[in-house]
Amino acid sequence: MRTEPGVLATFDEPAAAARAIRSLRGRGIRDLHAGLPAPFPEVVAALGKPRSAIDYATMPGALLGLVLGILLPVLTSLSWPLVTGGKEIVSLPAFVVIIFEMTVLVGSIANLVAVTVRSFLGGGTGAFPRGEHFNGDRLAVFAAGGGDEAERVFREAGALEVRRVA
Amino acid sequence: MSTASRFRSIEDTVRATHGKPGAGYWVALAVSASVFAFGAWAYSLIVRSGLHWTGLRRPGMWGNLITDFVFWVGIAHSGTLISAILFLFRARFRTAVYRVSEMMTVFAVLTAGLYPVLHLGRPWFAYWLFPYPNERALWVNFRSPLIWDVFAVTTYLTVSSIFLVVGMAPDFAALRDRAEGWRRRLYALLSFGWRGTDEQWRHYTRAYLFFAAFATPLVVSVHSVVSWDFAASVLPGWHSTLFPPYFVAGAILSGVAMVITILVPLRKAFHLEELITQRHVDMLCRLVILTSTIITYSYATEILLTLPQPATDPERSTFVYRMTGDYAPLFWLMVACNCIGPLLLYWRKVRETAAALLAVCIAVNVGMWLERFNIIVTSLAHDRLPFDWRTYVPRWVEWAITFGAFGWFFMLFLVGLKIFPSVSISEMKEEIAHEGALEAGHAH
Repeated sequence: MRTEPGVLATFDEPAAAARAIRSLRGRGIRDLHAGLPAPFPEVVAALGKPRSAIDYATMPGALLGLVLGILLPVLTSLSWPLVTGGKEIVSLPAFVVIIFEMTVLVGSIANLVAVTVRSFLGGGTGAFPRGEHFNGDRLAVFAAGGGDEAERVFREAGALEVRRVA
Repeated sequence: MSTASRFRSIEDTVRATHGKPGAGYWVALAVSASVFAFGAWAYSLIVRSGLHWTGLRRPGMWGNLITDFVFWVGIAHSGTLISAILFLFRARFRTAVYRVSEMMTVFAVLTAGLYPVLHLGRPWFAYWLFPYPNERALWVNFRSPLIWDVFAVTTYLTVSSIFLVVGMAPDFAALRDRAEGWRRRLYALLSFGWRGTDEQWRHYTRAYLFFAAFATPLVVSVHSVVSWDFAASVLPGWHSTLFPPYFVAGAILSGVAMVITILVPLRKAFHLEELITQRHVDMLCRLVILTSTIITYSYATEILLTLPQPATDPERSTFVYRMTGDYAPLFWLMVACNCIGPLLLYWRKVRETAAALLAVCIAVNVGMWLERFNIIVTSLAHDRLPFDWRTYVPRWVEWAITFGAFGWFFMLFLVGLKIFPSVSISEMKEEIAHEGALEAGHAH
């Protein structure tokens, strides 16, 4: 739950919210958070936060899947070397399907774990005052520590509602 | 109408689909459940006393049940095509239709996955298909296409389920905020604590991109792998390098036809015409036409490459048998349904008339089922050795299981419609907000 005071503004247009964010950042107010009912890329871009680091979990996950996909058929085939279909015991062309499927499977599971940890559980859930949800018809921007200047910028940008949050 | 009211209207439209079901819904659900129950009972006969209930006799040991498996894997394809591939290509028309397609994918894979088990003489040993440590250290044969299938289908089911559930989290959050009682608790659980913060969206959109990137080659791989169940053997009519692209195109054709078959009554029954417009249906019709032409080309290639061969050539013999033998009516019906029927969609009148559109799309699905039947059954019935030729005729138990699968699929779908948002709320909002900005820009 957020305890820091600030100014909360709601918008019905993503362009207006993005404009307000850019203006606030230009004035040195940088502790900004947005609540969005849809993935508005212009608002997220205006916040100027770095690209998600989810790649660092997904890519190693896919590589782990690749390695498992090689080891599983190769080691199990060697553990009981039985020739079938006239193929080599270690038939890499035949194992390509398993290698590919394991890469995709483990990569996807790693991606799921990453999005659960980074987005669902820890994705800035403390950014807004408790009880405030913006999944419906409004976008919100919260300027933590913002005062009169933030209020004015929000109004100029066309906010529908601006209020102080203690 | 302001953007906020349009956002609210999208939510209201989707919430209305979760309202109290009417008589039509209950009738549809009762029919689906009854057909499924009859199919399940018919299958219990096989479990109790063996495969003699089927028409399977040497050499035709694959029949309706494997046809059904390939058909349902094919149906499952369009969901990921529409949600993942069209997402990567930024095709905006997908927004209104991809959720229904994704639901269809998951339910179709759940249906397809039953068949390799149903087909087994001893289905209680189905777990032997999975590699697990055991006392005799005897592992599965990774060089067999049937094991590739196990990996391909389970991976596809897992990834498409994850894709569906993760994709719905923001929508469940929107529904949660306005729901009450058990629905609120269920949606709270399924929204995984979603609050719509920029941090959540930042990671979520990146992860969604990766899911789409993983799912895209998966779509192509799954039906290619299914085609190798046949192409990796040396049987005339199966042993062809054309099979992977031919199967993938066929899968997309049948899948998109099934999406339209579901969407047309759905948009009318739930008053979704505002969200799923005629333009969306038109775009899907274009996909049907495109894939139908690829299928026609594949049929022509197969036939034209084999007919000039000497009369003693087994491939030629099999193809001539397909076109003129015991199963010839089914072959020509398949050609009519898959190659000629979709051409009717060139006419706007057909695309805009629900009954005509449904007739074409149902015919495509019949045609695609027949295609799999033709490939599987005619090749086995007429292989290299004339003394081994035998005509396979499915028995009533097999038909009951075939129709039972449709009952199972539509039963799942009807239940899913009352729980899941059938249109992506968040992506529709994004589209509407950007449409509004574009219109404002043009006005200035």
